Amino acid sequence: MFEMKTITIVSILVLSSFSSYADVLQTRRVDSVTGAKTWEIQVDGVFFSLTQLLPDQVRAFYVNRGFTLAQIEPYASSCVYMTVLRNDNAPGVIHYVSGNWPVSVNGRHYELVPVNQWVERLSGSGVKKSAVIAFRWAQFPPEQEYRPGGDWNQGMLFMGLSAGSLFDITAK
Amino acid sequence: MLFMLFSNLSQAVGLPPLTHSLTPGETVREAPALRFRNLDDETVDLRDLRGKVVVVNFWATWCPPCRREMGSLEKLYWAVKDKNAEVLAVNIGEDIDTVFSFLGTVEPSPSFHMLFDYDAVSMDTWGVKGLPTTYIIGPDGRIAYKAVGGREFDHPEILRKVIDLTID
Repeated sequence: MFEMKTITIVSILVLSSFSSYADVLQTRRVDSVTGAKTWEIQVDGVFFSLTQLLPDQVRAFYVNRGFTLAQIEPYASSCVYMTVLRNDNAPGVIHYVSGNWPVSVNGRHYELVPVNQWVERLSGSGVKKSAVIAFRWAQFPPEQEYRPGGDWNQGMLFMGLSAGSLFDITAK
Repeated sequence: MLFMLFSNLSQAVGLPPLTHSLTPGETVREAPALRFRNLDDETVDLRDLRGKVVVVNFWATWCPPCRREMGSLEKLYWAVKDKNAEVLAVNIGEDIDTVFSFLGTVEPSPSFHMLFDYDAVSMDTWGVKGLPTTYIIGPDGRIAYKAVGGREFDHPEILRKVIDLTID
């Protein structure tokens, strides 16, 4: 039995310098087995998606990488999304920096929690080195350049929010 | 500026597709050093491959697009191994048993060099931001192409670019 997260994305704000509403394709779907939601958007040749990760899925992934349940629990029981960003054919390079994607809750803005904060915390708590490496590189990259023609990444994005929160995220 | 609400949408899609393009190296950059042990516990040094085209792929078994592209990397290897080209796959942070178990599930099973970077030190020296990332090194030792994210390495567009490098 999966434990469900109750966090819902209220909206995603995409700031684009590339133009036009005309080519926007937005979708939302629900996994028929787990109930996890995926939000997707395609605009100006850019694809972006967020998929809810269930706590049991996150626990299983990291226990298989060498974590104990106790070590990964603070991360697994919070709000984590599988994130995909792909530059199919945008007019230019996408420069992504996680600090430029504010999350807002009830009008208050937060920055995404830096991956290095988690890495430092885990490294200092007895987690095996190979497990910390897997954790670090399983996260959505904190910064990246995506060139047109199909550069993309898939990774976990930690929102830094507790279960039950409603939030907006701005992708720019 | 676009404001998009995801409240009334529904369209199911599958896994993100592997793409099939290579982007030119942003600068004419010399490939960084790369020297690790392979599955047979032999040391493989990129410097010794100068004069060949070398495909350097950074990956891990737990990385979904890395797993999906591995078979196509072997097909690329088949297509270029007699044309003065090599493929090096650098595993990040895992042990030989884990990698060996995974390779048995890949079709076709990789026969190119599988290297082990146990401490993930190459991620910094090569400037890798996420997995998988692949570099195509020309015979002159410089980075000719880069691919961020999973690819179909046996796609004709990629095969042509790699083979053209062997001819140049």
